[in-house]
Amino acid sequence: MQRFPKPEFESGYQQPDTLQPGARAGLLAIMDVVVLTITLAFITWLVLKKRSRLGVFLTSVFSLAYFGFYREGCVCSIGAIQNVTLALFDNSYVIPLTVIAFFVIPLIFTLFFGRTFCAGVCPFGAIQDLVSFKPQKLGTRLNAVLGLIPYLYLGLAVLYAATETDFIICRYDPFVGIFRFDASFGMFLFAGILLVSGIFIARPYCRFLCPYGVLLNWISRFSWRHITITPAKCIQCRLCENSCPYDAIDMPVPGKNPEERSITLRKLILICILVPFFAILGGFTASRLHETLAGVNGKVQLARALLEPASETGVPETFEITAFKSSGKPVSQVYYEASVIIRQFYIGSWILGCFLGLVFGIILARRLIITYQADYTPNKGTCFSCTRCVDYCPVTPEEIKP
Amino acid sequence: MDKQENDPKINRRRFLATGARASVLVGIGGVAALLAKKTIAGQTVWQLDPAKCIQCGRCATNCVLTPSAVKCVHVYAMCGYCDLCGGYFKPETKTLTTGAENQLCPTNAIKRKFIEDPFFEYTIDEPLCIGCGKCVKGCGAFGNGSLQLQIRHNICVHCNECSIARNCPADAFSRVPASQPYLFKGFGQEEENTKK
Amino acid sequence: MTNQASPASTRRLLQTIAAASAVFAAILCVLIIVNYIQLKRADPLNSKALTTLVERMHANPGDEMLRQEIRELDLLARKAFFTNQWQVRMGGYLLFLSLLVVVICYKAAELMQKTIPEIPAEGNEDFWHLRKVNRLWVIYTGISIVVISLLVVFLTHRELGKTLELAVRDSAGIENGSGGDMDTPDDQKTMASAAGTGPDSLAPGAATDSISGSNTDVKNPDGYPTIQEINDNFTAFRGPGGIGIAYQKNIPTNWDGKSGKNVKWKTAIPLPGYNSPIIWKERIFLTGASETKREVYCIDLNSGKISWRKSVEKIPGSPSQEPKVIRETGFSAPTMTTDGRRVYAIFANGDLIALDLDGNEIWSKNLGIPQNHYGHSSSLIMYRDLLIIQYDQRGSGSVMALAGKTGEVVWKTSRSVKVSWASPVIVNTGKRTELMLAADPIVASYNPANGKELWRMACIEGEVGPSLAYADGVVYSVNDFSKLSAIRIREDIGEIPGTGDNTMDGAKPGTGANKVDGTKTEAGAPNFQPVLLWEDSDYLSDIPSPLATPKYLFLVTSYGAVVCYDAKTGTKYWEEELGTSTFGSPMLAEGKVFQMDKNGVMHIFRADKEFSLISAPPLGEGSSCTPAFADGRIIIRGDKHLFCIGK
Repeated sequence: MQRFPKPEFESGYQQPDTLQPGARAGLLAIMDVVVLTITLAFITWLVLKKRSRLGVFLTSVFSLAYFGFYREGCVCSIGAIQNVTLALFDNSYVIPLTVIAFFVIPLIFTLFFGRTFCAGVCPFGAIQDLVSFKPQKLGTRLNAVLGLIPYLYLGLAVLYAATETDFIICRYDPFVGIFRFDASFGMFLFAGILLVSGIFIARPYCRFLCPYGVLLNWISRFSWRHITITPAKCIQCRLCENSCPYDAIDMPVPGKNPEERSITLRKLILICILVPFFAILGGFTASRLHETLAGVNGKVQLARALLEPASETGVPETFEITAFKSSGKPVSQVYYEASVIIRQFYIGSWILGCFLGLVFGIILARRLIITYQADYTPNKGTCFSCTRCVDYCPVTPEEIKP
Repeated sequence: MDKQENDPKINRRRFLATGARASVLVGIGGVAALLAKKTIAGQTVWQLDPAKCIQCGRCATNCVLTPSAVKCVHVYAMCGYCDLCGGYFKPETKTLTTGAENQLCPTNAIKRKFIEDPFFEYTIDEPLCIGCGKCVKGCGAFGNGSLQLQIRHNICVHCNECSIARNCPADAFSRVPASQPYLFKGFGQEEENTKK
Repeated sequence: MTNQASPASTRRLLQTIAAASAVFAAILCVLIIVNYIQLKRADPLNSKALTTLVERMHANPGDEMLRQEIRELDLLARKAFFTNQWQVRMGGYLLFLSLLVVVICYKAAELMQKTIPEIPAEGNEDFWHLRKVNRLWVIYTGISIVVISLLVVFLTHRELGKTLELAVRDSAGIENGSGGDMDTPDDQKTMASAAGTGPDSLAPGAATDSISGSNTDVKNPDGYPTIQEINDNFTAFRGPGGIGIAYQKNIPTNWDGKSGKNVKWKTAIPLPGYNSPIIWKERIFLTGASETKREVYCIDLNSGKISWRKSVEKIPGSPSQEPKVIRETGFSAPTMTTDGRRVYAIFANGDLIALDLDGNEIWSKNLGIPQNHYGHSSSLIMYRDLLIIQYDQRGSGSVMALAGKTGEVVWKTSRSVKVSWASPVIVNTGKRTELMLAADPIVASYNPANGKELWRMACIEGEVGPSLAYADGVVYSVNDFSKLSAIRIREDIGEIPGTGDNTMDGAKPGTGANKVDGTKTEAGAPNFQPVLLWEDSDYLSDIPSPLATPKYLFLVTSYGAVVCYDAKTGTKYWEEELGTSTFGSPMLAEGKVFQMDKNGVMHIFRADKEFSLISAPPLGEGSSCTPAFADGRIIIRGDKHLFCIGK
């Protein structure tokens, strides 16, 4: 509102321009994608062909420096899940090409060559690798329980991104604060805990939190060429048994007595009944929670604040209510939008619950089914291709040639 | 060796694996294709709409950076160059001097300079500005509204999810193409918005 | 000897450096945390001491010592703030550097010490046992998650979704059970019990939404439509509530009546009438009348065929002579209304009839020939299951409510007003539901459930043709030879944006705003004074009713001027001349204003601060009626035909 007219200057005063410094050049974002691809290709070669632990280590240092401290860890492939989800569900959201690239390119490399992205391109993995001085074996119980968290994290992240509520992967990103040298106290604390525990538990975020890791896990199981411990043939020398700090080596399964068919059949029937049952149970449970989950959404919070009659005098009005009053929006619209969001959460949490139930069921099913193997192989899903085990294997390719 | 290669079980497994791989590839490709419709070539940046802003002060405290990337920007084209500047002086100021007791700005980031009678120029020392919005509120209430909060893109790290945007009570933050990062409100804004 | 010793000693040196660095880092951490806590406890920029000093200074402006003190304190505070930031930042860098040293040294030491892999001892853990334990723990985790979730739900169950949906209906325009100052517990009970037995509920007390996500359509067992149903249909003159707003979607904006482009069908209506069509589901209703005949028509929305036509005759009490009407009003000016169970029609001679949706008469009566020199034109409107009739005739003005099912008079309130041709509006203002009428000399509001007057404002004169407009707590009335008035009727609107004023003080009080004339106020209702927000006399309408949104007020005059005002301040944003007479009232649908002119051209423009004409499609024949809307369709009554615009 122009309360005072524009002055006419007689003294020859020149009005300065309002400075509008622009953001980082778009070209540099494309350069990031190029660097990503080249580094991925390079490390894949290092892992599969050169099998060099030192090479992988140095590449991870480079990635930490470039993607971590230079680019300050944003945009990253892990967070790109949210952008992709939001773009799929919200027609008005525009997703930059570079973000799609960050999401898709590691997936494609993983599909063909295993989780080389985790080995030395992802800055989170790199920083955790740097501090894993004395990795301990965790035992099957902890591995089982903690290994379920990434699915929960992924599901919630997708749900919240799809309903435009929040990007929880970004919100609870522990390492970006270190890369930026600036974060809230809570985030620094979280990062500190992860890094200190990372000294004894190798790669805690990667194994027990990373939602992108869920996708990489699934995709890597179908990889065309995956790292092998031995360059040629396994001689079951057992030297590599304790080489993996991540418990990602599949030990040989003794095939003493192959299972009777009837037991296998019973197991199969159990799986066929249990998996759908878990899915429905999960969906039902999660859908009961839909209002609690929706309570984080800003529009729902505003509607709730407006529904409750004004509290006692003396409590100042929240900014949200002041802003709402000055926006001229009718109350009914707020209520309507909030009720739409709650309904979205209802559908979404059913899906989330079914997804989690399915995951549970499939994990249990896989632990029921017996696959015999004689060799020591890296688990295609959980192996990060860090190449540590390679140095433990005494086999050289020439030895086996006939 | 040969027998192993022709073992039907291994062939079947390999076939299934290839099939699975192909379908995963198709899946990823499908997602990428879906997204390709909703993409833009350039980057997007966060933008504050000063028309929605209610100057709650959260810009100063919620940014991941310290000090905040949101700063007060002076749209000179709108300024009235008033002696009694609503954004510079505290409301009950009697004598118009640049003393600390009169200033609204808690960090002395607004500088007042005499131009000619009765006009004064007000400039913002950006390293000192913390983006609290007190001057914006004052200018909007008593002046022309030429002081506006904006995100400074040379400082902003462009988080995927802006911490301030998440907490803005007026929902004033949105993602816009990087080619038009700033949005000023009020008369003369077209002039400022098109200037680079 | 020396060669072998140095790698070991280098290693030890590196390890020592690493350890020292680690200790240094730990100390730094503690320091930074302490600093942070200090900052949190006392933000130097918001120091209380400074504020108190400044206040004291404002009380004694001459105190120089105080001034100096403040300046020093302020300088200290600012310095502290920036130094603190610098300290934290430097501390952070130092911490990072020391950690880097730790990592590098340790890694280098590690590299120097090559360990030879050993064959691990034969593990005594059975592979199968491990797998079983693994499975068990997955199951334990799953069960605990489910149990905890259900516990959380049990403890925090709030049913926010349902409450919100009820709230939407309450505040959207017309009301429903839980709005208003009565009936709340009963209606919520009915809602809950209906919800519990509905096929869509998954558990008692759960949200009634089914997985398919359909809109909750709990039919009220009392027999009146829900707000959602009213908004989904077009149940009265100028839409639900009578305020000119339609909620339908995909409204066409282009057609040509002559060539038939985008005209789904056009049907000739046997008897003429100036009443506008209403729509319920797939049926359109309107009436036509001549001096001797009165008929109600039902036209199918999809085919345009007249499903039935009912002749209204032999009504008990019906006068034998015809009332005096003028050509511009005709014998069937009032628009019908419906509650989805019955349709109701009233004619110029006072004949009132209720039919079911298939045309069978349910009840009928005659209200007595209205003493109205132009002809009765107030349209009908429903409140729940009550039929509201505005019967402001010469000598005895009144508003009454009849039970829709039986036609019995439930309540009747006399009004000391002159003849009015405006129609009632029913809105939920957020605080309660109000039935508002305009007639010389007052705009008055009543509780539609019992007819008690809530407030009145004397601001209108003359022969009132235009009905009221309402949006966001403000009622607008206008008439020729009077003025355009904006009345604020909701006392909880805080500062009205744009006026800079605050509630009661700034705005002018209405003259004679409080209840007089012996009409008792609502028992227990707050002594409410409507407040005149603004007035304008530049443009006045005698026939078309104004249209309001929370931001704008659109006024259309009968000579074709369209004006857009700021809803709260009355600032004129734009004025346009359409160039022809306009008798129909503007309707708002999908953010666009639809204004029919007498020649049958529909002027469609954006409901916005700037005038932007979207299109002006012609009907091919003249029209004086207001259009009705259905999803993807507009139903327009021309002088001779009923048109359905759409694909």
